[in-house]
Amino acid sequence: MKVTVVSRSGREVIKGGIELHDEATVSDLQEAIHARTKKYYPSRQRLTLPMQAGIQGKPIVLSPKKKLVDYCDGNVKNLTVVFKDLGVQVLYRTLFFWEYLGPLVIYPIFYYFPVYKYFGYEGERVVYPVQTYAMYYWCLHYSKRIMETFFVHRFSHATSPLSNVFRNCAYYWTFGAYIAYYVNHPMYTPVNDLQMKIGFGFGLICQVSNFYCHILLRNLRNPNGNGGYQIPHGFLFNIVTCANYTTEIYQWLGFNIATQTIAGYVFLVVAALIMTNWALAKHRRLKKLFDGKEGRPRYPRRWVILPPFI
Amino acid sequence: MAGFLSTLRRIYLSLYNWTVFVGWFQVLYFAVKALREGGPTTVYDSVERPLQLAQTAAVMEILHGLVGLVRSPVSATLPQIGSRLFLTWGVLWSFPETRTHVLVSSLVISWSITEIIRYSFFGMKEALGFAPSWLLWLRYSTFLILYPTGITSEVGLIYIALPYIKASEKYCIRMPNKWNFSFDYFYASIVALAIYVPGSPHMYQYMLGQRKKALSKSKTA
Repeated sequence: MKVTVVSRSGREVIKGGIELHDEATVSDLQEAIHARTKKYYPSRQRLTLPMQAGIQGKPIVLSPKKKLVDYCDGNVKNLTVVFKDLGVQVLYRTLFFWEYLGPLVIYPIFYYFPVYKYFGYEGERVVYPVQTYAMYYWCLHYSKRIMETFFVHRFSHATSPLSNVFRNCAYYWTFGAYIAYYVNHPMYTPVNDLQMKIGFGFGLICQVSNFYCHILLRNLRNPNGNGGYQIPHGFLFNIVTCANYTTEIYQWLGFNIATQTIAGYVFLVVAALIMTNWALAKHRRLKKLFDGKEGRPRYPRRWVILPPFI
Repeated sequence: MAGFLSTLRRIYLSLYNWTVFVGWFQVLYFAVKALREGGPTTVYDSVERPLQLAQTAAVMEILHGLVGLVRSPVSATLPQIGSRLFLTWGVLWSFPETRTHVLVSSLVISWSITEIIRYSFFGMKEALGFAPSWLLWLRYSTFLILYPTGITSEVGLIYIALPYIKASEKYCIRMPNKWNFSFDYFYASIVALAIYVPGSPHMYQYMLGQRKKALSKSKTA
């Protein structure tokens, strides 16, 4: 079959189109485009079916594993696809590694090294037990994240735009330094012992739960699968759609109860807002996909992310 | 019901825009009057009340954007209003030593001319359904001069205020405290100054783009 590749403005991206055998997959097409253009490796390509004039809605994105014929609407000899360049891509693994490495390295610097001298605080500082535990807790958290990035998570789309590296690193590294500055400060005021224990205890339970949630999510996805959606189930997923985000938010709450800094709470609120946005989108997507029609199961009534609020 | 609500919206926005227009008109009038009678050092005292009222009222515009009463994105209005409130309350009102500086005159004149044009433009659109093409031209052209003069005045005044900010310890929160929080107004002001470095070209570019869109659209309309 002949595939015509056009840009969103209608210009032909590959002059003369591409000839492929009839059983070819989208992935084969992507390889062929890469061969013809050199610059556009497959993960940088976003291929969609052309929008019909007058019909609203989002364009249909071509899925790499599917066959091209599945997207033909009758004419199996010709197909037109719309090409969009997603820009330079990095692996999600790479992105996550760098954004998590920052906090893991930066926080202990404030704990171990005499940085406060440069802020005008001379002399030895007294280190409270809570500050030591906080450093261990923090480093455990980000080590866990890095470990999960390489051994647990299964990514539906393997890459992310390069610009996200700068944006995400700025977010994590700045907040990491901001919180580390206050918790390790020479004039830090600790909370009472019981509050500290409750905070870290609750936080650790949530971190373990969060890890279990990630394992469950991983097992939902088939390793050589089509990356399709499943209704999450098991453990907390039976009551809340994004239980992984829930446990993450509560885990930070535990840290803040134990360390009590405004900086930590600001981070908690911002992170919770970001995750709530993601959770709402995911919940909506799942409800739309699992609508109970045509034999599909119906998505059950569940909290989105933070019972009892939302 | 929908028609009633949309009329209500129009009446409210007309009242809002024209009221704030009058506020800024007063600012310009008193500023020019003071310049001619007493010179630059007397300008602030003459404009203080209408300036504070008109500028603070602009906070309503954030609300308008949030509830969807107007189309402007909150992301564009927030930095603009932020810098205005910082100058009005955080610098001029808080540190009287800055009030007699000549940059105060250029500041309030730049701001008031811009806002008079802007509020009358929106006031007309809401009340009459259209705005005359000369007003459209003014709205999308005067910024070419007034942005540089206004921004220079803002940056200049913040810079002038720095020694007073540092010495006064005003708005500073020091440690130790039970929330383990600190805030240094002096360093925050320096950060504010730093934001002008990428922020000003960004805003200017944005307005240039808006100008292109608005003035070309009116040609074809």
